[in-house]
Amino acid sequence: MAASTSRPLEYLEGLPGVTFDRLYKQPSTALAIFRRMLPDLAKCFVMALLYLKDPIPTADLENWVKAESKKERDNALSILGRLHILSTTRTDENARAYMVTTTFASSLRHALTGSKDPQSFGVFSHIPDESKITIAGLDEYARRQWEGVLGYMVGVSALTGDSDPVNLSRGVKQLLQAGNLVEIKDRRVDITKEGFGFVLQDVNTQVWHIMILYVESADSLGMDSVEVLSFLFLLSSLELGQSYEKKHMSSTQLRTLADLADFGIIYQESPEATRFYPTRLATTLTSDSSALGTPGASSLTGPTGQGAGSGGFIIIETNYRLYAYTSSPLQISLISLFTNLKYRFPNLVTGKVTRQSVRRAIDMGITADQIIAYLMSHAHPQLRKQNAGHATYNTSGMPHSVLPPTVTDQIRLWQLERDRLRATPGFLFKDFNNAAEYEAPCRYAAEIGVLVWKSDNKRMFFVSRHEQVAAFLRQKK
Amino acid sequence: MPRAVKGLLIQCDPSIKAMILRYDEERHDYIVEDLDDDNHLVIKESQLENLKARLDRDLDEKMLLLDLSDSE
Repeated sequence: MAASTSRPLEYLEGLPGVTFDRLYKQPSTALAIFRRMLPDLAKCFVMALLYLKDPIPTADLENWVKAESKKERDNALSILGRLHILSTTRTDENARAYMVTTTFASSLRHALTGSKDPQSFGVFSHIPDESKITIAGLDEYARRQWEGVLGYMVGVSALTGDSDPVNLSRGVKQLLQAGNLVEIKDRRVDITKEGFGFVLQDVNTQVWHIMILYVESADSLGMDSVEVLSFLFLLSSLELGQSYEKKHMSSTQLRTLADLADFGIIYQESPEATRFYPTRLATTLTSDSSALGTPGASSLTGPTGQGAGSGGFIIIETNYRLYAYTSSPLQISLISLFTNLKYRFPNLVTGKVTRQSVRRAIDMGITADQIIAYLMSHAHPQLRKQNAGHATYNTSGMPHSVLPPTVTDQIRLWQLERDRLRATPGFLFKDFNNAAEYEAPCRYAAEIGVLVWKSDNKRMFFVSRHEQVAAFLRQKK
Repeated sequence: MPRAVKGLLIQCDPSIKAMILRYDEERHDYIVEDLDDDNHLVIKESQLENLKARLDRDLDEKMLLLDLSDSE
């Protein structure tokens, strides 16, 4: 399973059971969760149980899986349980048994075989659109909006001197701030530590992160978070390049639509338009294909976008010189967070990773690992090819880094240098008269887990919290 | 009679500890208790930021020489 699914999964698992019941009333939600959130084995289980009339005894189901795959089976069953898809009951013979929860089962059946309710997967707009937008146009729009959001976070406009190229609404900015991705100090936008980690992730994970923030804040904006969430799942099952009617939608859905347009997740000509188009950001939300790395989605990541895999554009040499074949202001400003840039050409920027530039990044709260992960995922194919040749000489069994090891090691060392001392606030206990008097409270502090340091010779010890130890000492007297 | 003293326990390299000890000699305003091993001491909580800044500044000066040698 793609790593990017973990965050939405975590969020969903935290929801109360009643919420699941409401969510699963929508066939689109049931299908989206089935497609995106479940491991393959769990999908098999669901499909096998979906059309059964009676619960299946636990022992029978467990027999389907070979003993050596017990781990996978338990994992699948546990996810199904946590997502309230599978519930345990009793058969007539009073044996423990599994069944697919009623709401989920009936919704998924509707999704698979057609539903009485035609609106659950959106309503196509049948009137031809005179200003129809192509798929390429949608991708361009989505990419521009999304890079605009990221650019706002890292302060692209300040760097290039452009007047804000993408107009971000106040809602977007507030959401980023509420999610602790940026902070606003003296009217200046500063990216936070979480924010830097965020901009380095792949697009799909980023979209989910934002969407979950959005759902979490929905209640405070006066919207029903469950309705927003199930609307997101609906959007994710729409077809790219098709336009959809807005007239059947509730006020919450319309409001969500307007907010999502700011992120480039859907496209509409104007907020008053009668139709909208989902972009690739929406349609890849719950599909197995990620927004990155697949040929069909490459237009979104594009030559200037964040290419992973073969789309990398960064070359870094053993002498810390860095060459980045990009003209994207966003990528350039990301690189400039930890590099001293020197020259800029139409399709290339060069610079050097120095102790000073890495220190600057670390002072901002960026970690060495984040920098290395970024360099790694954007490494130029040439760099990969070159280092793949050396891989045969690597006998340690470690996965060979595509980056020069000297560079990655040095970046880590520069970070270590920054943490020269570790400080722990607390209390020093001293002046014990004899060893016996010292030992008892010291052992007590260790037992309750507050002891940080001790010296038997000097009869001193340091604790992070003193209340209990002090009480212990008083008691002894 | 045992006593408890409030402070910050600092864990660091011996070289850093030596620097802190030297700072303290000037006005005795950093250290609460020198713990007499190579890498621990207790300092006043209010002095942490000040101490960090001073260490960074002094160490940067020494490192600068190294940095210059491999610049463009």
